[in-house]
Amino acid sequence: MRGTWWRRVLLYGTLVVAEIFALFPFWWMITTSLKHQVEIFSGLELAPTVPTLDNFFALFETYNFGPFLANSIIVVAFSVALSLLLGTPAAYALTKLPTEGWLQKQALIIVLLVRMLPAILLVIPFYIVLANYQLLNTRLGLILLYTGLNTGFVIWLMQSFLAEIPRDIEEAALVDGDTRITALYRVVLPLAAPGMAATAIFSVINIYNDFLIALTMTSTPEAQTIPVGVSTLIGKITIAWGPMAAAGVVGAVPIVIFALIVQRHFVRGLTLGAVK
Amino acid sequence: MGGRRASIAAGPYVLLVPAAIALAAVSIYPLVYGFIASVRQFRYGLDLGFAGLNNYINVVQDETFTTALATTAKYVVLCVVIETLLGLGLALLVNRELRGASLWRIGIILPMTVAPVVVGVMWRLIYASDIGIADPVMGLFGIHGVHVLGSETSAFLGVVLLDVWEWTPLMFLILLAGLQSLPQEPLEAALIDGASPIRVFFDHVLPMLRPVLFVAIVLRSIDAIGTFDQIYVLTRGGPGVSTQLFSIYAYNTAFLFTQFGRAMAMVVILLAAVLVLAAIAIRLMRLGPGTR
Repeated sequence: MRGTWWRRVLLYGTLVVAEIFALFPFWWMITTSLKHQVEIFSGLELAPTVPTLDNFFALFETYNFGPFLANSIIVVAFSVALSLLLGTPAAYALTKLPTEGWLQKQALIIVLLVRMLPAILLVIPFYIVLANYQLLNTRLGLILLYTGLNTGFVIWLMQSFLAEIPRDIEEAALVDGDTRITALYRVVLPLAAPGMAATAIFSVINIYNDFLIALTMTSTPEAQTIPVGVSTLIGKITIAWGPMAAAGVVGAVPIVIFALIVQRHFVRGLTLGAVK
Repeated sequence: MGGRRASIAAGPYVLLVPAAIALAAVSIYPLVYGFIASVRQFRYGLDLGFAGLNNYINVVQDETFTTALATTAKYVVLCVVIETLLGLGLALLVNRELRGASLWRIGIILPMTVAPVVVGVMWRLIYASDIGIADPVMGLFGIHGVHVLGSETSAFLGVVLLDVWEWTPLMFLILLAGLQSLPQEPLEAALIDGASPIRVFFDHVLPMLRPVLFVAIVLRSIDAIGTFDQIYVLTRGGPGVSTQLFSIYAYNTAFLFTQFGRAMAMVVILLAAVLVLAAIAIRLMRLGPGTR
């Protein structure tokens, strides 16, 4: 009964429908970004008849996407590097604590709570504090906020990767004459490198995608990031559909590539330990 | 020797300090600061002094606020219910020997990886009354003259559909991992005993899956309560206040009307709700060493 043909048709049919539903909006955005203005309005072509990159050029020539992209890259790079620098030692410490259990659990709870706070709860105080230090509309201001917020995420993910490294390996290095520090560099970190790479990529996705914090803390292309740039294309009266679609593509492409790289770790990186 | 052991024991705590300071700076500090702001009066962003509970009283009596809360509640319940059912269904479908299983999986998951702002753009391109594809598609089903974002009910359903598109993948991902972690023997034994697959699902799979299911629902609910980006791009809360979720209203109050104190009072009220949900989620997750 399990192998009857109609069940297989039903199974794959449902999957195909689900995939079309999941992927069509991507396709529609991409084709719109490759169409001429006239063609966008001329009907519902599923593919551009004469593909053009004009919309992408327009982004960089008239809509400031050069600065937006530069801001995003700088902010993401520094925030990810700094939060890894802060979070990884803490995660290592958590897996090595003598008071196995209690403190570790409390630390993880705090980290989780911070991650669960909706951004709208934080942006108003952030705004007032950054204003006090003249850090509004600066990349430095964004870097400081993202570094702090992402440190919790790094601790969370890295402790789960580090906990998978067998203790015996490190103990053996200690017996062989390594100190804790040299054992960390010689033995633990190389083993943790893939986990660290995955953590870095998830951090890039999180920070690159953030909108509300960047929207509230910045006001000009001096510090605005790609998602904020995308939202500036939505005028009150008219919308430049082609460039907007192109902006969406610019916003999505790096993330989709990164996501494909870390898909093996999706459950761990995107679900906050919901499944043990 | 004693000295060395002591330094080893202290070592881990020293490593925790910088991260703890960074975390406190972006969580405890703003929350305390925000709480203080909620009992002060602001105008045009200027702090005018102590206001007692005035902000809270104003917020509670503000009908727009209670409407936004009700809209948010409706939005969260509708989205989470649909996403849970669809996610569970898809997870059950994929949880078997499939040709190209990882390809099917990545396709389903892709929507949740891109920025919510980009998701907003995608659906704006679909819903747009002049260049979108939603109107002609509805035309095929005999629905004419309705613009998705043009009327209150359809706009609300439109943003719900977007949320379902974006976040069903999360439910799918968690529940699929949950299904794959279930012990197979009792399920196979029940099937061999002649139980129908549907009975096996309700008698064995669902009870075992329950903890994961609860965690997934609570996590998704917390995230849904904070929904902002997509709505900002798609409708900014309109038409009328039909899609004005809590966070949109709080954002407008703080950054358009510059009433920081009042906005913080709203946020403190919401924080209470989020903390309760978060406490439930954390209890259910049974944290321990090596939790992932």
